[in-house]
Amino acid sequence: MYSLNLQRRLIRIWAFVFKNWLITKRNIFSLFEIAFWPVVGFFSIGLLTTFLELDANMSGFILTGIISMSVIQVCQIDVAYVLLYDLWSKALKHTFIAPIRSFHLILGSWLIGVMRSFVVFLLLSIFSALAFSFDFLRPGLGPLCLFLFGLFLTSALIGISVCILVLLFGYNAEVAAWSMVSLLYLVCGIYYPVSILPFPLPEIARAIPLTYLLEYFRSFYGFKSSSGNCLGWGFGLIGVYLILEAFLFKIVLHRAKRTGTLLRLSE
Amino acid sequence: MSLAIKAEGIFKTFRSGWRGKTRKEVLKGIDLQINEGEIFGILGPNGAGKTTLLSILSTLLLPDRGKVQVLDMDALTDGARIRERVNISSGNANFLWSLTVKENLHFYAMLYGLVGREREKKVNALIHLLGLREHQNVLFDRISTGMKQRLSLAKCLLNDPDVLFLDEPTVGLDPNAAASIREEIHTIQKERRMTVLLTTHNMREAETLCGRIAFLKEGEILTTGTAEALKRMVRVGDVVRIEFQGEILEDELLRADGVINYSISRNFCEIIVDDGEKRLGSLVSVLSQGGAEIRKVTLRQTDLEDVFIELAKEIDSDLGLRL
Repeated sequence: MYSLNLQRRLIRIWAFVFKNWLITKRNIFSLFEIAFWPVVGFFSIGLLTTFLELDANMSGFILTGIISMSVIQVCQIDVAYVLLYDLWSKALKHTFIAPIRSFHLILGSWLIGVMRSFVVFLLLSIFSALAFSFDFLRPGLGPLCLFLFGLFLTSALIGISVCILVLLFGYNAEVAAWSMVSLLYLVCGIYYPVSILPFPLPEIARAIPLTYLLEYFRSFYGFKSSSGNCLGWGFGLIGVYLILEAFLFKIVLHRAKRTGTLLRLSE
Repeated sequence: MSLAIKAEGIFKTFRSGWRGKTRKEVLKGIDLQINEGEIFGILGPNGAGKTTLLSILSTLLLPDRGKVQVLDMDALTDGARIRERVNISSGNANFLWSLTVKENLHFYAMLYGLVGREREKKVNALIHLLGLREHQNVLFDRISTGMKQRLSLAKCLLNDPDVLFLDEPTVGLDPNAAASIREEIHTIQKERRMTVLLTTHNMREAETLCGRIAFLKEGEILTTGTAEALKRMVRVGDVVRIEFQGEILEDELLRADGVINYSISRNFCEIIVDDGEKRLGSLVSVLSQGGAEIRKVTLRQTDLEDVFIELAKEIDSDLGLRL
């Protein structure tokens, strides 16, 4: 009985992997998301570092940033797609009439996001080694896995925020799926350390887990981190935000059912 | 008989515009009791609040006030448990566009926790039951409206629901497709003995399918009952139209049993009687005895549309008096 219940729970999560995967494989645009934009972005920044004759560590600083952002962008969009596909198909109410919980929806779409963004990570780390002699494995497998796991969880945070905005504002919020990540470029120290940011941006950066994750990983390449336990801060903030978002998601879903947004988005 | 659905004092107002200042009161104190295993129809014009009511009962929308119990569970606190045992199908069926019919069914079957062979068997059985076999591998946005409706019906049977909500299941379909969907609904309900709550603005559909019907207008239930009881209640009367040659004596018409009203033209008359089938024979013989040569007799019985118009008139005049 327990095993059957577990199976039923797992299949509900798998449903969203199944849905996103089928839609992804039929959509040529998704190939661009994985292979085109990240690769083009990576090479244009990589070539800029060559032109500026940056030393290996400085190039590594910037390449770490661009690869991290590509991983986050691809993974978070899958989490956002879980509601966006339903929104575009006007099928939102069929998902929410089913006996599923928010975590089925988020976890399933996050898993496929992890798979797709891991492909992006592999692709870009191979290119970075071949074209710019940057070794992503220098910190070791353990720290790399922790760093990647942190990036995947950060993506989940952004994806859930998009879902929350979609449930709040409907079609007006879909632009958030592509624009929220851009804010991270500005404040999280993707191309430069957060210490050069004008007030109050460094303080804002300190509230974003990605800032700590990047500092943690770059510390293996000789860059000093501003706080003692970057990993602890990074995962700690992720944990806090995940709990907050879980509450928020529940509240906005309740609100969408109260205001009729859920139905309007299905018409 | 136990109740499948019980609603008490349901109110719902939608707010829109700047800071929600524009308000539209859609449901104004709905009370409803639906027995287990019956097909119950909610009939009303567009904008009456049918979909809103159905959405509240199916836990997709929360009421502002009122109590809803579905299968003895509170819809406000036990939504997740209720959703295990109910399902919904909408007239304007929308599913994931870039998935095929079969993939859509598999996806929703997974959401209901169906695994492995059990799911495969269920999906195939529903594809067969609803005649979707030829279209099972076609993308959703390439199939006809009729097929979309069939897919919607198939989807809502995935979890063998105890209560099925059908929101205008034949809207936008041609008469043949609509009749076929009605037949499917009737057969499925009979075989599975599930409770069906159906909204429609099609009087004939309600009359054909539903055991009991509630008339909804401007967010209020005007009345509830079987089609026959509603017709009797309103006493609109059946219309007997008789084409004749010769003369009709009005006195004879007035003396005939069951005549409510009549009008006579040069060679035809329209007589409104309480029960057309019952009075037809005696009317014809009364008129024949008076010397008229009867050429053609037609009977138009009261349908739900007449009942609805009559009820709406009564409500409007009540409102007029109150104003």
